Amino acid sequence: MRVRIRAPSFGELAAEAGRALARIQLGGVATPPAGAWRRIEVRASDREALLVDWLNELIFLAETECWVPAEFQVVNTDTTLRVLARGVSVKEAPARVKAATFSGLEIRPIPGGLEAEVVFDV
Amino acid sequence: MTALDTIPSADLVHDIPATQRRDMRVPARVFADDELWKQIAHDRSLEQLMNVATLPGVTRCVYAMPDVHEGYGFPVGGVAAMRASDGVISPGGVGYDINCGVRLLISDLEEDAVRRRLPALVHELSRSIPSGTGRGTRVSLNDAELDRVLGEGCRYLVQRGQATPEDLETIEAGGSLMRADPGVVSPRAKARGRDQLGTLGSGNHFIEVQTIETVIEPTIAHVYGVEAGRVAVLVHTGSRGLGHQVCTDYVRLMDRIMPTSGITLPDRELACAPFASPEGQRYFGAMCAAANFAFANRQTISQRVRDVFQRFFGDAGRLRLVYDVAHNMAKLEEHDGELLCVHRKGATRAFGPGHPETPERYRAAGQPVFIPGSMGTRSYILAGTDAALGLSFGSTCHGAGRAMSRHAAKRATSGHAVRQALEAQGIAVACPSSGELAEEAPLAYKDVERVVDVVHRAGLARRVARLRPIGVIKG
Repeated sequence: MRVRIRAPSFGELAAEAGRALARIQLGGVATPPAGAWRRIEVRASDREALLVDWLNELIFLAETECWVPAEFQVVNTDTTLRVLARGVSVKEAPARVKAATFSGLEIRPIPGGLEAEVVFDV
Repeated sequence: MTALDTIPSADLVHDIPATQRRDMRVPARVFADDELWKQIAHDRSLEQLMNVATLPGVTRCVYAMPDVHEGYGFPVGGVAAMRASDGVISPGGVGYDINCGVRLLISDLEEDAVRRRLPALVHELSRSIPSGTGRGTRVSLNDAELDRVLGEGCRYLVQRGQATPEDLETIEAGGSLMRADPGVVSPRAKARGRDQLGTLGSGNHFIEVQTIETVIEPTIAHVYGVEAGRVAVLVHTGSRGLGHQVCTDYVRLMDRIMPTSGITLPDRELACAPFASPEGQRYFGAMCAAANFAFANRQTISQRVRDVFQRFFGDAGRLRLVYDVAHNMAKLEEHDGELLCVHRKGATRAFGPGHPETPERYRAAGQPVFIPGSMGTRSYILAGTDAALGLSFGSTCHGAGRAMSRHAAKRATSGHAVRQALEAQGIAVACPSSGELAEEAPLAYKDVERVVDVVHRAGLARRVARLRPIGVIKG
C-alpha cells in the first residue's frame, strides 16, 4: 500500500504520515484521540530512515498495546524525532499494516515543503 | 556452460543478459509465456530482478517465476543464490512474512458428506481460528515457551501434544530449522508474536476447504495419498507480527552497517550483510527462529482444524498432513558442490525424487508443492523435479501472483460482489472484512492455470492434481 504525503516541514511530514497510518489502522473510522499525551522518540542517521523508524514504532505500539497513535506534536532535529502523541484505544490490535518499508522511499522538496511516498507492507 | 544455456523451451523463458546494466553481476531469467510476460512488464518486477542481480556474491543467474510481481526490494516470485563463502544474505530477499507457506491436509471424506454441513463447518472454522487482527486469543506463551517455539518449532509442539511424529515427517525440514537462535530475536519481535501462535493473520492468508477435483498424475498422487473426490484443507499463513519485526529489525541493522562493508545498492530495501559476517549470521539465526514460529503457527492452526473436523465428522474427519512447504525463506543448500544461500521470496522449494531433503516417503515422487489459486479458482498439487535443480536452484512458483494492486481491486469490485460470486459457485465464505475480500478478488490475480502450465512445461514442477474450493475462511 502506497501513501503519498505532503507537508511544510519534515516534522509535519512525520505527523501527517502518522495520521495517515492511523486512518488505515482504524479502518477509516473517525475516532477522536483521547487520554494522556505520551512521549515517543526515534533516532536515525537520515530523514528517510527516521520516517521509516517512526512509522514502524507506531505500528509496534498499535499491535502490542492496542493503542493507535493519531494526534501528534512533533519536535524534530536532523537525526531525532521527539513526539507527544495521543491515541485511540482499540479492543483488538489492528493488523492491517505490518511494516513501513524503504521501498521507493524518497523525501523530495516541493514548492512549500516536502513530499514523500511511503510503501506499507499489508 | 552458463546458467542461460539450460533453456527448457524457448517460448517459456525471457532472458536479460548481465550486460543489460553495468551493475549486474549475473543474468536474469523470467519463466513466463507471452501473456504472463506482458503482465509482468506492467510493474517494477523486472527492474527489481535486475537490482537483485547486483548483490555481492550472487551466482549463476537470478530467476523470476511466472507469478512474479513487484515486491519491496526483491520481486515476489524471485529466486537468487549467493555464495555462502563471500556472498550476502538479505532480509528483503526473504520478505517480511518469514516462512509464509502452505500446507495441505487430506481426509477420507467425500464432498457430499461435507457439503451437507458446509456453512456450519466454515462458520466454526472461522470462529475457532483467530484471523484478521493482530492479537490472538487462544495460545499465549510465556518467555520460556516462546523461546522453545522459536528454537525447536514443531518438535516442541510434539511435546505439547499439538503435533505427532508423523506430522514432522511431512513438514519441510521437519518443521524445525536447527540454525534457529531465539537469542537474536529482539524483545520487540517476541512481544508481537507472544500471543499470535495459532492465528491466521490478514491480507492474502486463508484456510480453504477443497475437493480433489482431478488427479492428473495418478502414480504420484497415490504416493501422496491423494484421491479424486476427497475433501482437503489448505492452510496459507506465516510468522505473523513476529516475522515482520525480525525483518524490520534486520533491514535497519544492515542498512546502518552497509557503508562500513563497502556495499552500495540500487534499492535500500535490499539491505544486506555478508552471510559469514556476525550480522549475517545473526539475521540467519533470527530468520530460522521466525521460520520455526511459522511452522508452529501452521501446525497449531491445523490442530484446531482437526478438532473442528473431528467434532463434525467423527473419525471420518481425520485429517492427514500431506506436506508443509515455505515460500519465503533463505536456505543453505549445496548446488553442484558449492554451498549457497538460496533466497526464495514468493517462490517454493521444489526438490525432485533424487534429492536427499525430499521426505523418505515421497522419494518415488518428488517433494509436494501446493499452488493456491485466487479465491474461487482452482489450486494445484505439484511435484518437484530433479531437473528444477539445474533450471532454478530447485524452485517453482508459489501462487497465481497479483496482477492488480489492492487499491485497484477495490475500485474494480466490491466485497459484496465477490461474496455473491463465490456463493453462486457453491463456495461458503467467512471473512470479517468486506474491503479485504474485494482486495483478494480473483480478478486481482493472474490466471493460475497459465502459471501452473508454465512451470509444468518448463520442467520446474509436475502437475499432480487440481483442487476446487468449497469453503473459504479469509484472514
